[in-house]
Amino acid sequence: MPDFPFIFDTMGKLLAALPTTLELFILSISVGGVLACFITWARISPYKLLSLPARGYIFVFRGSPLLIQMFLVYYGLGQFAVVRHSIFWPVLREPFVCAVLGLALCTAGYTAEILRGGLIAVPAQQIEAARACGMSGLLLLRRVIAPIAIRQALPAYSTEIILMMKSTALASLVTVWEVTGVAQRIISQTYRAMDVFLCAAAIYLVLNFVLVKLTGGLEYYLTPHLRARPTSLSAGLRPLPPPAAGDASHG
Amino acid sequence: MDQIMLLGFGTKGWGGMLLLGMVMTFLVTFTALAIGAVLGALVAWARLSRSRLARFGGEAYTTVFRGVPELLVIYVVYFGGSTVVTSVGQLLGAEGFIGFPSFIAGALAVGVISGSYQAEVYRGAFQAVARGEIEAARSVGMPTLMRFRRIIAPQVMRFALPGLGNVWQLSLKDSALVSVTGLAELMRTSQVAAGSTRQYFLFYIAGGVLYLVMTSLSNQVFDRAEARVARSFRGGLGRG
Amino acid sequence: MADTARKSARGVAPLALSVKGIHKSFGQHQVLKGISLDAHEGDVISILGSSGSGKSTFLRCINLLETPDDGDITVAGEQVKLRRTGDGHLQPSDRKQVDRIRSELAMVFQSFNLWSHRTILENLIEAPVHVQKRPRAECILEAEALLEKVGIADKRNHYPAHLSGGQQQRAAIARALAMKPKAMLFDEPTSALDPELVGEVLKVMRTLAEEGRTMLVVTHEMGFARDVSSRVMFLHQGKVDAEGTPQEMFGDGGSERFRQFISNTIR
Repeated sequence: MPDFPFIFDTMGKLLAALPTTLELFILSISVGGVLACFITWARISPYKLLSLPARGYIFVFRGSPLLIQMFLVYYGLGQFAVVRHSIFWPVLREPFVCAVLGLALCTAGYTAEILRGGLIAVPAQQIEAARACGMSGLLLLRRVIAPIAIRQALPAYSTEIILMMKSTALASLVTVWEVTGVAQRIISQTYRAMDVFLCAAAIYLVLNFVLVKLTGGLEYYLTPHLRARPTSLSAGLRPLPPPAAGDASHG
Repeated sequence: MDQIMLLGFGTKGWGGMLLLGMVMTFLVTFTALAIGAVLGALVAWARLSRSRLARFGGEAYTTVFRGVPELLVIYVVYFGGSTVVTSVGQLLGAEGFIGFPSFIAGALAVGVISGSYQAEVYRGAFQAVARGEIEAARSVGMPTLMRFRRIIAPQVMRFALPGLGNVWQLSLKDSALVSVTGLAELMRTSQVAAGSTRQYFLFYIAGGVLYLVMTSLSNQVFDRAEARVARSFRGGLGRG
Repeated sequence: MADTARKSARGVAPLALSVKGIHKSFGQHQVLKGISLDAHEGDVISILGSSGSGKSTFLRCINLLETPDDGDITVAGEQVKLRRTGDGHLQPSDRKQVDRIRSELAMVFQSFNLWSHRTILENLIEAPVHVQKRPRAECILEAEALLEKVGIADKRNHYPAHLSGGQQQRAAIARALAMKPKAMLFDEPTSALDPELVGEVLKVMRTLAEEGRTMLVVTHEMGFARDVSSRVMFLHQGKVDAEGTPQEMFGDGGSERFRQFISNTIR
């Protein structure tokens, strides 16, 4: 017979830690995403001076465990007087900041590879066609290359952010009390591993479900050209205006 | 330099310990992969089964263990295992708390996670086996078990090889989390060395480098195996 | 000629295969509505029909790759044991018997279905060694002779993926022969081949017919049906529409529908 009072109590404690998990998640994928753009840019550069370090970065951060990266940031940085005396120290001594930094550095490596995969998948003929229209540089990137690459990379990226959601659990090992950390504390106090596990698992599964729906929706929104032709206007998410009206509005 | 001494094999050096940690990491990962292979095969079979209940069970397994933090799985196996072992111990007359052996807990936890990924690998590999070849095996009168052993299993293993390489890398990195149970694998040893010498940066870098050595070595092993299989197995020419 | 020799033998040659009243439905769709066929040893029976007439399903029922809803199958005097389940469908009651009978009826598929993880020689000896439990050395010797016969002895150590479609199909025929079958079932053996590769496969099949092997051939090759087979069977919508010797069928004995069918097929 499940012990409902205990389960409700546990659920309450775990949900109280949910904001921390979400903050870790959102901050780390945002910072990691920006970082990944720079790394991808360097990685596909024809200059060895740029592409080699990027290649090294990706190799190191994808090839070693996230925990060791996070400990390196949390314990390793503070070892150096230069860091301790710098203006960043008040921020860098915070476990939360270290956790976000560790997560972001790691996901940047994975995301960079995913973005590169998306870029490689952009058909050369379509870039050629854009050049033939006189596009180049940033305009070409913004109008043609990036939209196609992002659509190509989206499925892999949605897998990556679910992995990141799970990875936020490691923050508890540098004393940031997010959901898994709180769960561990309750387990070691009560020894009711299964009940606590099920509560925490339920939270993560709901989070994953929401993420899957969000990225799935985004993918659907971004790829109208891959969908079956809607049989009626109401069938599509974003029904196309009738041709005449469409022409008029763009004209 | 003092720091080089710390990484060396002398009396004050941690080199030997770190290498032992590497061996332990390899052993945990390898055991986990084996446990995961059994679980993964069972779950894949359930997901391909005609029974709706088995399909649901298989799907639930992969959803849960691919969706929940690895650390949480390690906690539940370690603490849950200890609770079970303690109560069994009390039944047999032992007193007090008995800890679940951390190697078994770690290998089991990583194995359970690995199993959820391996299940998907095997399922995909099975679906890649040409239906016609299975039918040909039926048409020559091969009984079910022989069909599985001689025609299906060898092909599934070959199709699964690239996916298994990925799962191995994943499990290798997951095994670092087993350090929370106190098992002296590479992560834990780096941690202890870093703590007792106060040389955090040095030892985490050293540990990280050793992980990189392990991941790139195993990458090469899998690449070579794949190349060998590809040479004999799949040509580009049309198959029916 | 061989053709007349076979015809005169028909009266005396024992039955290799006898099929009676085969019915088969997929869901609501009735594919076979009672088809019967007797094949004496040495018969080469071509089964013709437009797509959807049920000819492939008929062949698959004989080899029990599909279980018929109703009907009897007898191979070399041994009847396949089928029992009726609760929902009225037939089911083989003796799996061992099914496997044994399958090994006596060798099947050649449209899409070759060679086992891609084994070399050509390994494909040939797989069933003789493991299903029929014959000595390996003996099987290898026979397999090599068969590969010689179908003209791909030099490919013995190649994997199927490295062969052309025509070579793969000849290997598949050799694989079928390696089981020393009582009858051979060909399911559109040339339909998946490029036109220029069809000839090499038909040539092998013609040789087999001249050796007096019992063959059931589902095909679209009118030339083969007319010149090589001893009997022609025309299926239409799950029933036998017309049946007879090639002379009768391609002369004036066939049905109106069959004449229409061949006038659409022969260019």
